Amino acid sequence: MSSALDNLKSQFILNFVEKDRWRYFVSGLGVTLRITLFAVLIGIVLGTLVAIVRSTGDKLLPGMRKGPGRIFLGIANGLCKIYLTVIRGTPVVIQLMISYYIIFASSRNGVLIAIIAFGINSGAYVAEIVRAGIMSVDNGQMEAGRSLGFTFVQTMAYIIIPQAFKNVLPSLANEFIVLLKETSVAGYVAVRDLTKAGDIVRGTTYSAFMPLIGVALVYLILVVFFSWLVGKLERRLRASDH
Amino acid sequence: MITNQKTVEPATGEVMISVHNLQKHFLSAKSEVRALRGVDQTIVKGEKLVVIGPSGSGKSTFLRCLNRLEEPTGGTIIFDGVDITSPECNINLVRRRMGMVFQQFNLFPHWTVLDNITTAPVKHRLMTRAEAVDKAMSLLKRVGLEEKAKSYPSQLSGGQKQRIAIVRALAMSPEVMLFDEPTSALDPEMVGEVLQVMKDLAEDGMTMVVVTHEMGFAREVSDRVAFMDDGLIVEEGTPQQIFTNPQNKRTQDFLSKLL
Ligand SMILES: Nc1ncnc2c1ncn2[C@@H]1O[C@H](COP(=O)(O)OP(=O)(O)O)[C@@H](O)[C@H]1O
Ligand SMILES: [Mg+2]
Repeated sequence: MSSALDNLKSQFILNFVEKDRWRYFVSGLGVTLRITLFAVLIGIVLGTLVAIVRSTGDKLLPGMRKGPGRIFLGIANGLCKIYLTVIRGTPVVIQLMISYYIIFASSRNGVLIAIIAFGINSGAYVAEIVRAGIMSVDNGQMEAGRSLGFTFVQTMAYIIIPQAFKNVLPSLANEFIVLLKETSVAGYVAVRDLTKAGDIVRGTTYSAFMPLIGVALVYLILVVFFSWLVGKLERRLRASDH
Repeated sequence: MITNQKTVEPATGEVMISVHNLQKHFLSAKSEVRALRGVDQTIVKGEKLVVIGPSGSGKSTFLRCLNRLEEPTGGTIIFDGVDITSPECNINLVRRRMGMVFQQFNLFPHWTVLDNITTAPVKHRLMTRAEAVDKAMSLLKRVGLEEKAKSYPSQLSGGQKQRIAIVRALAMSPEVMLFDEPTSALDPEMVGEVLQVMKDLAEDGMTMVVVTHEMGFAREVSDRVAFMDDGLIVEEGTPQQIFTNPQNKRTQDFLSKLL
């Protein structure tokens, strides 16, 4: 019994304390959070744009007059459909490697490439969330906005999107949590994120248990914490109906 | 006494909206719905036109074509001398001059009452924010809701929401007001307060096109009543003529079912 405890203790010291190995984990956590945060921001901007194009296209294209507006919207809508299909139809780790080894082959800034790749990936999922949010806003809101002389874009920006975001804010926060775990494959392109930190330590100490369980615990604590925040946010939103 | 004055008015006056052979077809999956099958109308400045008719006859479609919330399939709409159905027409500028009030109010729930009223004129740079607030407050006072300026729509009753919606449209200083069954979604006890605001507006000389089932309002306020059925205006005349001596069989049937 006590020898098992002693063993755990020495394993702990070996993997975290000795040679300040904990620093790998801390800096890895920083990288993970940074990639997740910036990727989700890119995802929200990109996803919102795609959602606007997709919901506008579905709504307006069938009844639109022939002309440059229709052609432009048709092309944009088509491109968005391709984007969604490709991104959601391939594994994120492959997208990451294609970004790193092919598209941005001349750059070795792994973190930046990971941010871009995960951002583009996240955009496809955010787009579906925001699209659902836009569709949840009553049609009368668009009509009221247009009847006051607002353009389509103004009505979207002032009236529809703020309400759509409010409706899907919990889902967007959830996307952040999902992405936090998905970034664990960033090590494939030489990024030292949290998972990679555990891997590096495992490789030098030749012990798997402590670094892997430690990394898993950190992810778990983060996810539980952010989920708790999302729950709070949801309750706050439900309490206020404006 | 009121009807005597008003029967002579519409014939003269300056034309505000003239509609010629207006058509609107909706394409659905299988069939084509002919919501408007050639409507002609001339509305003069200051006129109050009430449109009545059975459900599905095309009243809303007609009204919504006037500010092109629905794109007409055919025909022309001339507003203040300009063909607003032509591709060159900037409909956003036209809509600033036409207020619209919806059955479901359609207030913006994420804004206060004051922001609901002031945002459009301010964003369109028709007024400074201070001017818009002044105007909003005096309009709110007129409809008895000045103390609601800082409230959100969710905190208002249906009647209050609709009065705010009317104020929101009036804040743009429109030349014509379009009403699509403004009291149909209200609890009965709130119908009166909204109709009163509309009556006051009529007395101020606003040009109004009103789709409604409130026959008392039509009789009292309108200069002209148009009866729609199956995408056409089948009969029109003074409220006196339509309500006491309808000529068309379908008008007679419709009115007899109401009374
Ligand atoms: N967006 C639409 N798509 C398809 N059909 C429609 C649409 N709007 C209205 N219609 C049809 O057009 C006809 C006239 O409708 P509407 O103008 O709303 O009638 P009313 O307001 O007199 O009740 C109805 O048959 C209705 O089903
Ligand atoms: Mg209707």
